Amino acid sequence: MRRLIPIALLLPLLAGCGNRNLILTIDILSFMDPGSRTVNYGPIPPTPSDTVEVFSDSLNLLQGISDVTRVMSASLDVAASFDNTSGAGTGEVLIYFAAADSTNPFTTTPIASIPFQLLAGQITNVSTHIEASPALAEVLTHDRAKVGLRIIFNGTSFPIQGVETLTKLTATVIMKKDL
Amino acid sequence: MLRNGCLAILMLVLGLPFGVAQGQMLDARRLGMGGVVTSDVGDYTGSNIAFRAVPKGTGGSGSIPLPLGLIQYLADHPTFDSKDSTFNIYEVANVLLNPPLTIKLWQPSEVTGDISIFVAQDSLKVDLADVKRVIPKDSMKQGGVFHVGGFSKSFGKVFLAMSPLIHVKNELTLSDNLRDALRDAVPFTGNTRYGLTDEARAQAAISFQVGYALRALYRPSPDEGQNADPRRNGSTSLYLGAAPKYLLGLAYGDAHSIAGATTGDTLFAGSNPVTIDMDTQTRHAVVGGDGGMGSGLGSDVGAVLYWRNFELGLGLNDFGSQIRWSTTVRRHAYDDSTNQFTTTEVASGERFVSRIPVTTTVNVAKRIGRTTIAADVVNGDFRTSMHAGAEFWFGMLALRSGLSRDQNKMAQFAGGAGYRLGKIGIDLAIATNSRNIERERGAELSASLSLY
Repeated sequence: MRRLIPIALLLPLLAGCGNRNLILTIDILSFMDPGSRTVNYGPIPPTPSDTVEVFSDSLNLLQGISDVTRVMSASLDVAASFDNTSGAGTGEVLIYFAAADSTNPFTTTPIASIPFQLLAGQITNVSTHIEASPALAEVLTHDRAKVGLRIIFNGTSFPIQGVETLTKLTATVIMKKDL
Repeated sequence: MLRNGCLAILMLVLGLPFGVAQGQMLDARRLGMGGVVTSDVGDYTGSNIAFRAVPKGTGGSGSIPLPLGLIQYLADHPTFDSKDSTFNIYEVANVLLNPPLTIKLWQPSEVTGDISIFVAQDSLKVDLADVKRVIPKDSMKQGGVFHVGGFSKSFGKVFLAMSPLIHVKNELTLSDNLRDALRDAVPFTGNTRYGLTDEARAQAAISFQVGYALRALYRPSPDEGQNADPRRNGSTSLYLGAAPKYLLGLAYGDAHSIAGATTGDTLFAGSNPVTIDMDTQTRHAVVGGDGGMGSGLGSDVGAVLYWRNFELGLGLNDFGSQIRWSTTVRRHAYDDSTNQFTTTEVASGERFVSRIPVTTTVNVAKRIGRTTIAADVVNGDFRTSMHAGAEFWFGMLALRSGLSRDQNKMAQFAGGAGYRLGKIGIDLAIATNSRNIERERGAELSASLSLY
């Protein structure tokens, strides 16, 4: 994933805001390769659970911003759609954010877990809002981060097969000046 | 580094208007009359050198400001500590634009509010909310010619004067695209350059002046009597003044800068989302350093005519004033591909002549009994202001009112009163102004003593 923006160029204007905030909303999804937003899952055979890693990518954002701001809070909005052609079950969508120096974002604790239930031949839409995630705020105080998305299936009817599409991944970061 | 850069940008954008504090009037009598200048009201800065030859009348000869605003400031002032959570640089800028010498009756609301930025791969929208108020619709122009302190001594019709002279000017212009994006939250688009230009100049000199002011024409009025005041005795009088000056240049500097960021096909498609361009050419000379001191000549000239208690004055200050310098010219350019600034010396010892802009004051006044009705137009560097006012005396009590068009092209209103006790009087005035970073109307109360 590519560098987002030298946001710091806009920070001088924030200094005039007194005890106010810079609210940065990043449509992370728009920076992703359209191909990585969608993943075909299955056919998943009868097993207790199965894991699909949708993507894992490096994210360069908030270049230099930690020099002049401190992140007060961060939140995340995630939405996904499952077009399940066969099988049924429950599961979770897990979102991971990790520091850039971590080798694998999936080794960290997920910052979000979205439960879902799938039925054969049905489209299931899921979404969640993660409010004030300290883990996300911690990651976003650095110039770079890694992001990953994993899906865990717990099947009740097999084989499970379909298409998962990530439809929303938006981070909102609230910062204060630190000049 | 980034911290310093941000502060530098802040001071560039916000610090430049500091020069306009000269619009603050501490003479409550003049302020109550809308800031109008006549030969006996408010001309203590020498807007018309011919006024020197006009006999002092009953209208006053000086003013002593009473800086009551300091009490208000000490009781409540913004923090200057950038680490303080309440630090607001716009409030600090307003203190510098509006030194706390008068009591602020009301001020524009504080610039505050959250800034919102939305970023997507091909979308960027910046909503500055309340901060939009400090971004002007047109160029930001600040500057002026300041004669700071100094002294003068009269020997009959001749006078000698020495005073420091400072001239500063700056014009910052945002490109239409950048202005729309910041003022109106128009989304940034691809393949577009968002730029700005800045033209800055500052020079300082010491002025040594020899002047001569005299009455060139006099026709007495039949009912003049013992009244020697040409403002009120109905005579026809013409006074002229001229004062050539030698300017000892202490320092000169100018900078012509262009900068911008050009977006690509997609706003954030590459490792460098925008292409940055910056190019500045500077020219400077300073006593004790590059180029040394400068030297030049200039003049102040003026005339004032009285006819049947009408007054018509014309004053030209710094007429033809210019200073010759030996300057060093440098170019500072930024290379986006290497992320480096390079500085090259374009010229050394290059002859350069700088100008001090003329300040022109045209004033008219009519005295009817003890009543004065007056108006003026003052044209200087970047700005033209107009003032009109009247003063009515009822025994020892004076009532005043006036209006003006200020440097922000806004109408301002004033009113006041004074009470005279022999050779001294106390004056109060309430007036509106737009001397603030938001360029919005506020009001102040000024107090001063008048000397009669």
